[in-house]
Amino acid sequence: MSQFLDMGGYALYVWPAYAITFAVVALNVFWARRLLERARAAARRRLGVGGGEGA
Amino acid sequence: MNWRWFHRLGSPPYVYALARRLTPWFGWLSGLSMLAGLYGALLVAPADYQQGEGFRIIYVHAPTAWMSLMVYTTMAAAAAVGLIWRMKVAHAVAASCAPVGASFTFAALATGSLYGAPMWGTWWQWDPRLTSELILLFLYLGYMGLRGSIDDPQRADRASAVLAVVGVVNVPIIHYSVTWWNSLHQAPTVMRFGKPAMPGSMLAPLLIMLLAFTLFFAALLLVRLRAEILNRERTASWIPEVLKS
Repeated sequence: MSQFLDMGGYALYVWPAYAITFAVVALNVFWARRLLERARAAARRRLGVGGGEGA
Repeated sequence: MNWRWFHRLGSPPYVYALARRLTPWFGWLSGLSMLAGLYGALLVAPADYQQGEGFRIIYVHAPTAWMSLMVYTTMAAAAAVGLIWRMKVAHAVAASCAPVGASFTFAALATGSLYGAPMWGTWWQWDPRLTSELILLFLYLGYMGLRGSIDDPQRADRASAVLAVVGVVNVPIIHYSVTWWNSLHQAPTVMRFGKPAMPGSMLAPLLIMLLAFTLFFAALLLVRLRAEILNRERTASWIPEVLKS
């Protein structure tokens, strides 16, 4: 296990590269969802429709 | 030829419903293939004979770099369709691409830096490949800044679409930069003529990762597109119906 984590001495380069990539993936999921939720909430307020998750 | 499918794609309620139906498919397929790709990248692929275990950075660097170019090409194509056919949905697609593309261009530059540091002994060089990729990041940011600075949505669509279409010249420059000029960056391993320069156990995880990220972009685009459509079709009569669920 520690051999795996060491990445043949490249750990300080390999793991940050993977961390940055999957942080960007996770952020994109979060941003896209938040964008849609906000657009739906704004449309509800504008059109005076209730229902769905949160109003 | 039957053009009905094209006209349908110009209809916001049709596209909204289609996007909603397709999102879970792209999302789950992308998640599963990302896990499979990670497994192959970290546990199956053998160490490289020159770069050792450090070469595993390629499994996140190449997909993020691929995203930076593929998302830009999609954005420019959608912008061109929007300009030529005055199609609102196409402009909404283009607008949805930019933040995704910018974030993955950043990831490509950052992972590239982490790849370059041990392999080339430098975090950054004003090298043709690196410089043109940095220009790509500025194109995305310029596109977003331009959209944000124009209040009238139609003018924002048209002005930013022109920028996106003009900027597409940078895409082949990035791709061929390592062939045209002397670059520190290695030559293409997958997208080249003839056989890929990798054995199968190294290549398969890379191809799976490229597929996973492409599916991920599709899922993101579909979610963002729905938000764009809702914000644009401010008073459309079909909207209350889709807000119920």
